[in-house]
Amino acid sequence: MMDKIEETKKHIYEILKSVMDPEIELNIVDLGLIYNLEYDGDKRVDIEMTLSTPACPLGDAIIINVKESIKKHYPDFDVNVKLVYDPPWNPSLISEEGKAKLGM
Amino acid sequence: MNNLQTDNAPSITVVKPHFIFAGIAFFVSTVLIVFAGESLLGPYFGVKIVAITHIAVLGWATMIIFGALYQLIPIVFETSLFSEKLAKINFWIFAISITLLGYSFWVNSLSDLLIYASFLLLISLLMFITNVLLTHKNSKKKNIQSRFIITSIYWLLVTVILGTLIAFNFRFGFFEKTYLHYLKIHAHAGLVGWFLLLIIGVASTLVPMFFVSHNTDEKKIKYSYYLINAGLLLMLFEWLVLGTGKLIYLDWLLISSGVLFFLAFAWESYKQRLRKTLDTGMKHTVISLLLLFAPVIISIILIMLHNNNSSLLLRITTLYGFSIIFGFITSLILGQTYKTLPFIIWLDKYKKHVGKAKTPMPKDLYSETLAGYQLYLYLASILVLGIALIFNILLLIKIGSYLILATALVYNINLFKIVLHKTKIEKL
Repeated sequence: MMDKIEETKKHIYEILKSVMDPEIELNIVDLGLIYNLEYDGDKRVDIEMTLSTPACPLGDAIIINVKESIKKHYPDFDVNVKLVYDPPWNPSLISEEGKAKLGM
Repeated sequence: MNNLQTDNAPSITVVKPHFIFAGIAFFVSTVLIVFAGESLLGPYFGVKIVAITHIAVLGWATMIIFGALYQLIPIVFETSLFSEKLAKINFWIFAISITLLGYSFWVNSLSDLLIYASFLLLISLLMFITNVLLTHKNSKKKNIQSRFIITSIYWLLVTVILGTLIAFNFRFGFFEKTYLHYLKIHAHAGLVGWFLLLIIGVASTLVPMFFVSHNTDEKKIKYSYYLINAGLLLMLFEWLVLGTGKLIYLDWLLISSGVLFFLAFAWESYKQRLRKTLDTGMKHTVISLLLLFAPVIISIILIMLHNNNSSLLLRITTLYGFSIIFGFITSLILGQTYKTLPFIIWLDKYKKHVGKAKTPMPKDLYSETLAGYQLYLYLASILVLGIALIFNILLLIKIGSYLILATALVYNINLFKIVLHKTKIEKL
């Protein structure tokens, strides 16, 4: 059971790597926007995420993209996205891979 | 609900017409630069220069700023616009008044048509000011950015009241001093009070966002706010009450220090940026900020030479206005259009398709290659026109005017590519 939960979570992280922040042109996982991801082992996914800036005009497009991308692989899942700004996002949250992609 | 800022976003039908009118007005202003020819080397208050100036500052810059503000104000004030209907009616009255105003200057109808045009303009700007102030009243968020926006709007009010008085004075003649004295105050309230303060306020949010840089020092922006406003108020006092000219160096010092604090803020943000390579939009922005040094330097030269009534001084005064309007402001808009409009149109066309189908990215809505040509044409045009104004060379005025016309043409091709974009989706 534990393996199934961890495996699904890993798969969802992989799916989320296809969701891009259109302004920074980096996926939201490597950008460090996903603060927490929980899967209950059944059909419920809870995601806590942030945006690179609270003023981000593309915020809802990114959230819709998160939900729809997961539902494409898991059509009967209930995906909940909670947007948090505390702690605020900062560049130290970018993964090593992401830093390489941005040329940092 | 996720409490997203975009929930307060206005309808695309409010924002889009402003960008379209502004692009066309920029093109018209460059066509008039071509036709004005040697008048550009004449006095800065000649009707041809004044016509071009008003079409550029109102039809191009203010119009696009209004469109962008309708999009941005809900984000900064965290509340929706007081009235979209008012904004839509306002657009038409504003557009008609600018067209009439530009025409009446161009054909030198100063004591007739200009009166009606300026009165209509006053009404449209009062409508805009009312809409923004009532939106601000509904806002709980009070920060330095909203203070910049509100203050700049009061300076816009000062500008348009003085402008209307100058227009009415052409017919009724009630000024005690020559109208050029009031023109000076009108121009500075507009260029420094309205444009510069507004741009600094908006840029303090957008510049770090587009550079993707963090932990910038907001104190510099606050100093900038107080210094520029103090300088402007002192300037008003000096020109309207004292009239001795003694405080003018202090005015210059205050406003220039405010500008330098803003540039220091932008420099800090630039140095910390995550995105190392700059797209054309951000290159134009960096150039715009560098061009801001020009009016700071030119104005101190003008202050030192003020008793010299040579034709050189008149041309340097034209260069001063040119460096702000076609330098700083125009370069900024030419770049920021690419950082805002494609995203606004993209959200409208593709928000409902994201994740379900393959959609283009916002930057796919225009040609980056054309944007690159636009940048080089622009740089060439301001360089050539700047040299032409300093050294009084008509041939360079002609070459420069065709270069800036070409810049406007290329910009408009990209602008219309974005606004006329048809939804393209592929199944995943």
